[in-house]
Amino acid sequence: MALCSSARRSAILATHLPTYDFLLPCLLPRITHQNRHLSRSRRLYSAENDGAFANTSAKPLRAPKSAPEAASNPVPRNKPLTQAQRDFLASALRVNQAGELAACLIYAAQTPVVVVAHPHLRPLMKHMYDQEAGHFSTFNKLIAKHRVRPTAMYPVWKVAASALGWGTAIMGREAAMACTEAVETEIGTHYNDQVRWLLDMAEQMERSGEELGDDLKELIITVRRIRDEELEHLDHAVENDAQKAVPHELLTSFIRAGCRGAIWVSERV
Amino acid sequence: MVARTLLSRIRPLAARARLFSRTYHSYDHPPPPGPFSSTESSILSASLPHIPSHGFTLTSLSLGAKDAGYIDASTNLFPQGPFALVRYHLMTQRLGLAEKTDSLETAEGAKPMGTGAKVKKLTWERLMGNKEVVHRWQEALALMAQPSNVPTSLKELAALSDEIWFLSGDTSVDTSWYTKRASLSTIYAATELFMTTDKSPDYADTREFLDRRFRDVQIVGGAMGSVGQWVGFTASAGLNVLRSKGVRI
Ligand SMILES: [Fe+2]
Ligand SMILES: [Fe+2]
Repeated sequence: MALCSSARRSAILATHLPTYDFLLPCLLPRITHQNRHLSRSRRLYSAENDGAFANTSAKPLRAPKSAPEAASNPVPRNKPLTQAQRDFLASALRVNQAGELAACLIYAAQTPVVVVAHPHLRPLMKHMYDQEAGHFSTFNKLIAKHRVRPTAMYPVWKVAASALGWGTAIMGREAAMACTEAVETEIGTHYNDQVRWLLDMAEQMERSGEELGDDLKELIITVRRIRDEELEHLDHAVENDAQKAVPHELLTSFIRAGCRGAIWVSERV
Repeated sequence: MVARTLLSRIRPLAARARLFSRTYHSYDHPPPPGPFSSTESSILSASLPHIPSHGFTLTSLSLGAKDAGYIDASTNLFPQGPFALVRYHLMTQRLGLAEKTDSLETAEGAKPMGTGAKVKKLTWERLMGNKEVVHRWQEALALMAQPSNVPTSLKELAALSDEIWFLSGDTSVDTSWYTKRASLSTIYAATELFMTTDKSPDYADTREFLDRRFRDVQIVGGAMGSVGQWVGFTASAGLNVLRSKGVRI
């Protein structure tokens, strides 16, 4: 019932906002194949060629609105960032922070339950948690440094993420791993879109003779690194029988829809 | 249907969030252009010295235009009329705070100031930025309260609290980000109003009023914080107790 209404909601939302065609594909059964594709293709197209990698995930390309202005204005070395660029960067940092907060809480809630039944998973769970904690602190620092407003839904994400982690963990190891699989798939795609946008922006600035600046260069490196780590988590989840969870399809579609909804809200609020 | 209600719930929240409309701040690029062109800025800054005697009025604006070498009619540049003067005053005072952060450094060897003390100090510095125009401030408040000017005025207030917390070195990026800014905005607005009627030497009464507001917030803020902590603590303690009893959760 809940899934049904959330799917209907998502369909309506998606027609409102064509760029965020989230929630629509969650009902299509292409998910798991795409997952494997996503995580394998990462190795083929690593740091040098995100453009090619991006093409595999069939999403509309978002170009910064500044393109014509940037091209018509020759060689001013350091122009202010456009409103569109600053807005994108702010909402990207905000949503990343919220996502990493949620990831930390999911793993924190899952670990004790999963480890009791499967002690051999302790090092893996700890490894993934530690990486999430690292991501979270990275984005906390960036938010404070660049004076971006954090998400207003902070307390909501806190409760939702802990409940999701705990809820899937008591359903068993496979369900917990299916949760990781679903979350990391969404997050991997999300970071990937971000990298692509940032690279577009870098290319445009370079073409008009502007400096990208150290902070943005570093941001691209950081987001790429974190994306790769998320996709590693995805691989771990699949190696640990995420796809044997019953009912796998329903569970992952549901969680992925939730992730996209959360991303959509965090980008705005 | 569900989407409609969801959207209608989110929209006001988003609008409220947008009030604190700080967007990405770059250290490698110049800041985006402000609301005033260079001509407008030069007229406005030449008008500031006329405010103590002529107030936040068109008279001050046209005197300023004359001083800056423009004809009288250039006040037509300002469709918002004298509110432009108020806005310019608020902006320059806010941006000027960055230069006052030297006063936050303590002598070598002494204990460095805490964030709270820095916030108080900068708030006071900002209030003192109104000293020259305080007898005219109620005109400014009336202009700020006009419906068409309210959004800009509130945004300025939010930007001021954000600036003060930032300059004080606060780096919290959780829910307290909002409560901190909201409470400082309230304190500042109340104290600013109090200051317009203060006749005590060196604004001693205003100072006392400000200290009292900060104390109140500490009490309330402390209580609110502990409620949140208590809920979180009880929840996790409850889980742990159940776990220790062998319940597999
Ligand atoms: Fe992460
Ligand atoms: Fe992850």
